[in-house]
Formats: sequence, structure tokens, C-alpha cells
Amino acid sequence: MIDIRGVSKSYAKGKVKAVDDLTLTVRPGEIFGFLGPNGAGKTTTIKLIVGLLRPDAGTITVAGWDNQREALKAKAVTTYVPDTPEIYERLTGLEYLNFIGDVYGVPKAARLERIRKWLDVFELSPAVSSPIQSYSHGMKQKIVLIAALLPTPQVMVLDEPMVGLDARAAHHMKEMMREHCDRGGTLFFSTHIMEVAERLCDRIGIIHKGRLIAGGTMAELRAAASTQAVDAAGTSLESIFLELTDK
Amino acid sequence: MKRLAVLVRTALRVNFCLSVLRPRELLKKRKDFWMVPLIGLGLLGLIPVLIYFLKGLRWIFNLLAPLGQQAAVLTFGLLAGQFLILVFGFYYVLSAFYFSRDLPLLVSLPVTPTQVLLSKFTVILVNEWVTAAPLVLPVLIQYGLLARSGPRYWIEAVFIYLLLPVIPLAVVALLAVGLMRVVNVGRKKDFLIVAGSLALLAAAMGGQFWLSRSMNGSFDAQAVIRVFAAPDGLVQKIGARFPPSVWATRALAFGFRGEGPAGLLLYLSLSLGLFAAILAAGKRFFYRGLIGLSERIGPRKELSRGDLERGVDGGLRPARAVFRRELRIMNRTPIFLLNGVLSALLLPIVFILMGKFDTGTGSDSARLLGGLISSKPMVAVFASALFLTMCASLNGTASSAFSREGAQFWMSKVIPVAPRIQVRGKFLHALAIAALGLAAAAAAGGFVFAIRPLYLAAALALAVPATFLLTAVGMMIDLARPLLVWTNPQKAIKQNFNVLLALFADAGILFGGYRLVKLLAGTGLRTKAVILCVGAVFGILAAVSYVLLGAYAERRYRAIES
Repeated sequence: MIDIRGVSKSYAKGKVKAVDDLTLTVRPGEIFGFLGPNGAGKTTTIKLIVGLLRPDAGTITVAGWDNQREALKAKAVTTYVPDTPEIYERLTGLEYLNFIGDVYGVPKAARLERIRKWLDVFELSPAVSSPIQSYSHGMKQKIVLIAALLPTPQVMVLDEPMVGLDARAAHHMKEMMREHCDRGGTLFFSTHIMEVAERLCDRIGIIHKGRLIAGGTMAELRAAASTQAVDAAGTSLESIFLELTDK
Repeated sequence: MKRLAVLVRTALRVNFCLSVLRPRELLKKRKDFWMVPLIGLGLLGLIPVLIYFLKGLRWIFNLLAPLGQQAAVLTFGLLAGQFLILVFGFYYVLSAFYFSRDLPLLVSLPVTPTQVLLSKFTVILVNEWVTAAPLVLPVLIQYGLLARSGPRYWIEAVFIYLLLPVIPLAVVALLAVGLMRVVNVGRKKDFLIVAGSLALLAAAMGGQFWLSRSMNGSFDAQAVIRVFAAPDGLVQKIGARFPPSVWATRALAFGFRGEGPAGLLLYLSLSLGLFAAILAAGKRFFYRGLIGLSERIGPRKELSRGDLERGVDGGLRPARAVFRRELRIMNRTPIFLLNGVLSALLLPIVFILMGKFDTGTGSDSARLLGGLISSKPMVAVFASALFLTMCASLNGTASSAFSREGAQFWMSKVIPVAPRIQVRGKFLHALAIAALGLAAAAAAGGFVFAIRPLYLAAALALAVPATFLLTAVGMMIDLARPLLVWTNPQKAIKQNFNVLLALFADAGILFGGYRLVKLLAGTGLRTKAVILCVGAVFGILAAVSYVLLGAYAERRYRAIES
């Protein structure tokens, strides 16, 4: 569903290589967790997938569409939640959702049903008629999530989606992620919370200094890990992560 | 002191994007070469204006010099500059003091309220030096050259120019700090900006009417003789309502002779006194007003199922959805509203109010001018078309269309709507604002200047394609180098260099139109034929520019990384 082939991206006229010859595939129905230390290239990779950045080299296809040459088709099947919820603060929550519904072409009946459902799930109904500028960080994060769910996309790309969410909302979010993939959708997300990645993801990729240094299921990562990473509880993702990114 | 220096340096860096802007590299990049012809076009439009301004100043100087009243040129320039700073300063002060996004961070730092306020004040001061420069510097330079002034004048002129914004800024700063402290505006900060601006505007216009009436009333023959008999009678007459401009004039014109030193001393004392008052007010009131602003808006009203059903739309076409988003965001962001909608309506409203309330010579002059113009159909149509186009286009809506999105531009990049379609929504929005300006200007043309309806209709037929053209050009300029990183909405429209660049380009295009009219009129073509030719040229250019805008958007949306 997401196919990244030999993608590189650098900043400052090539002096800083944020993503270096990255190749990975995320299959339909899969939750793919993307881990890495700060500045490793996670957000750059995500921005490359959703078309916010242009790769210096390589190609990215989303649901079979090249995200540069057939950008609109790729965008039509993808929704994105950024790491900071920068959204139109002067609109009310409902106006923002209507805007997203309009640009993704969501019909009224489906729009109403989904908005009602997700507002209830994320307990945002009391605030939806207020301007977004009056929302807390967590509430903004929730409205961006609802907007991302509104078009029922094939591919969801989420950059640290748990930040700012309360425990209940984070729980619902994880349920939503699983449901989305059980229906055949694909979910690519970055996180710093190892436990979430370990329990939720079908496969995990670890990026460090712009390069993918490990990838696979938890079992595959454990098998690949050295003996140093084995602790009393077996090999935790945290141990693997610390060992790999320490090099 | 060290902390203050750090705050000021950081504030200047943030305000002028000094950390990311490298002027030396600006024109090294091939992608920036497009700016060269644009700046050339702008200069083509601006240089004649500057030349006429300088010529006008020389003419007035030479007229007044035999009467010994030439220093009035300085008073005029300084007074106009300070008035400009007073009007612009109100927005700058409110935005910088109370609505910047960096304020929560600054409040939490181990610095005093006075230091924060001073750092903000310094940034505004630098902005005002730039804002007042095109009006005041030509006056100071032209006077210095014509009066053959020595080094003392030039040193003092620099000094007085640097202090020029202090008095008006201090006045609005004290007003703003006091107001924010006294009034509980935490829940009404947007209202404060709009109401404050309208009040300031009303006060400025009221003052202008009052001044014009009192001037008219006292300008009988005896009064004129009295004014010209005194050594600086005209200076005093012009600056009567604002003595600091008189003091500064005396300091510059007389130097160390006569009333020069006293003028300098008074100008300096008032500037420093008001500056000290800001420091004192900052210490006592600044944070109290600021902290009130962070109060949350009252309890939220939950929507019923019915309300939600009614609130959910049936689905708009993407261009309409973008148009509605633009409309809502502009109308709900006071700085955008004032600089977009109000700017479009301002000039026509001023003329209409003058026509309505001013029964004195101002109104009569306008009708006389209108009568004179109407006697020459070609002049009537083209002068009206120029007025209509300027009122429609000289607001920053088009030339900040992309910058206004700021950090939210990522949404325009990820939604599955072709840039060409998104730009159509933005273009329609800019045109809607322009249409307000056109309608108001047409009303002013008919009501105040008594332009004949037929001429107005012809002018409108010319102004509409010209407005299309200028809107598309303004949007292309902003699209070429959108300012997407800002902490204060003021930066996106009022302090956006793209808006200024677009004004340059508009001036160049309108100057080109003027040359075309002159050329066609010189060939002996009849008035109707000239109007048709010019209308056709602008119509073709408008269509071409719209097509180019769409194509350019497709390229730029891909290239802009956010």
C-alpha cells in the first residue's frame, strides 16, 4: 500500500542528510510503527509520504499511485495527522470538519454519521461549535484525528498521534487504528512510546541518522537483536531500540 | 541590560527573519531571478511618483522661500510622518504587545515586564522607521539640499528622524497598555482591535474635519497676512495641533540660532518623557493586562442532534469550500479584516463622508474637480477608472493570499484538490473584496465628484479587467515567495514585503496603462475607440494572467515545502 524506493532527502544544500536511501514497504491491513531518536528522519519520511516534501531521489507510491506524478490520486486515498495540530484556529470544529468533508467529497449522510460517531468517541461534542483557537492541545489533536477519519481513507499517516491525548482518548485511538487495519486499511505512524509500538504494530521500522537500521515484526527484531539486548523479560523493543541506536 | 539586549536582538531576528534570510544569497539562486524584472516594473511605477513628489516639494519650497516660510515644508513632512506612525502604530502596538504568539514564552522567562515591553517597542520602532521613510526622508533630503544645509543639519536630521516615531508610538502604547489594564478584554480581544481601529479612524477623520473647518474659518485675508508676517508663522499654523512637529522643524531649520535649541530641547524632552512613561506603565500594568488575555472563553454550548444535523453540510465544490474558508478566516481575524476589507472601503468612505458632512470648501472642491473632469470625457473615464482600480486593488488581500495561511499551509498541500482549483477559490475571495472597493469607489465617484453615470459605467468596464489583472499579479507575487512562518498575523499582511512588491507592480502596470492611453490619444483616435482599445488590452492581459496564475500554482504548490 505504501512503497518507498531508494528515497533520499537532504537539507542545507545537501549538507544535512535527513533521509538516506530509504526503502520500505507497508502492506494493506498493516499497522507500521516508525521509531527513531529525535532528528533521525521520522517526520521527514512522513512528510515525504504525504507530499509535503519532495524527495531528492527515489519514488514513493501510495495505493499504487506515485505521490509526485499522480499526487491528487495519492492524496485522495490518504489522510495525515501532523506532529503539531496546526489547523485553522478561526474556524469552529464543525466548520473545519465540513471543509475536510467538502475537499474529500464526503456525502452529507456519511459525513453526519461519522462526525457524530467520532465526536462521541473522542468526547468532543461540547466543543465542536466553538472556535478551534479555544481548544486545548489535546482537543486540537482530537479534531485533527476526526478530520483524518472522516473520509475513511485507505492509508492513514500519523506523526506522533498520541501526544497530548488523555488516557481514554489514546485508548480509543489505538482501537480505531486496529479497526482501520482490520478493514484492510494501512496505517503508518511514528511514535516514541515503545510499549504502544510493541503491542499495536504488525511491523516496526527503526530509523537512525536517516537510514533504516532495522525492520520487521517484533519476532524478527528479537531474532536479529544481539544477546546484549536480552533482559529478564525477554527482548523488549526498548532494549532493541537502545542497542541499535547507540551505535 | 544584557538580558534586554538579548531580548531585543531575538525580537529583531524573529521579526525580520534574520536567522533564515541571507541577503547575499538572495539573488544567487536562479529561482529568485524573477524578482529582478518585477522590481524593475515597480521602480518604473514608483520613480515617477517620487520625482513628482520631489518636484512638488521644490515648488513649494521655492514658493515659500521669498516669504521666509520655507521651513513649513519640514513641518508638513514631519507631521505627516508622525500621523502615519500614529495610525499604523496602533496595530503594531496591539499586535506586538498583546497578540504575538511568543508572549506566553516571554512571560515565563526570568525577565521583567519592562524588558519584554521594551524589546517589543524596539521592533515597532524599527518597523516605523521603514514605514515612514518614503514620506519623510524625501522631505528631509530635499529641504537639506535646497536650503544648502551644512553638516549640522544632516546630523540633526538623522537624530530627529530616529526619534520621530517615539512620540506617536508612546501615545498609542500608553493608550493600549492602559486600556488592556482597565477594560476586561480577555474575552473580547478581537473586538478590541476592530473597535479600536474604527474609533481611531473616526477620531482621525473627525480631527481632519475639525481642522479643515477651523482652518477655513480663520483664513481670511487678515489671518493670512498675520501668518506670513511671523518668521515661522506658517510652521506654527500647520503644526498648531501637534507642537512636536513645530519644535523639530525649528531645531532643523534654525540650528543653534533663535528658537532652534529650544525646539530641540522640547522635542527631546517630550520624546524621553513619554518613553519614561512607557517604562513606568510597562512595569505596573503590562503583565496584568497580558495575563487577562489568556483567560479562556466562557462555557461551551453543546450542540443538540438537530443542531449538528443542520450544521453538517451537504457538500460544496472544492473551489467554493476554499472560498468560504478564506472568507471566514479573513472576516474573523481582525488584522486581516482591517487590512483587507477596511482598506478596500477606506478611501471611498472618506470621500463619501466628506461629501456628506463637509459643506465647506472641501466638498465644493470635490464637485468642482468632478465638474472639470466631466467636461473632458477621456479624462473623466480614465481618471475614474484609475480611482476605481486603486480602491479595488490597493488592499493586501490578493498579495497575502498564501502568506495568510502561515503554518497551516500544509493542509493546502495534502488535500486532494488541484492547486489550480484552490487558487480559484482564493482568487474569487480576493475579487469579492475588490468588488466591495469598486462599488464603494463608484458610489464616491457619483456622489462626491458627481461623475456622470455613463462615464462611471465606462470606467467600471475598464476597472474590472484591470482589477482582475492586478489581483492575479498580486497572487502570483505572494505565491512566488509566500511568508509562511510568522508568529503574529500582522506579519502576513501588513508587514508582508509581498504586499509592498505587489503595490510596486500595480503602480508599474497602471503607469503602463497611462502611457498606453497617452499613446493612443496621441494618434488622434476618438475617445470611444481609445476606451475600447485599452479595455481590450486589459481584458486580454487579465485572461492571460489568470491562466498563468493557475499554471504557476500547479508548479509552486509542488515546490513549496512545509
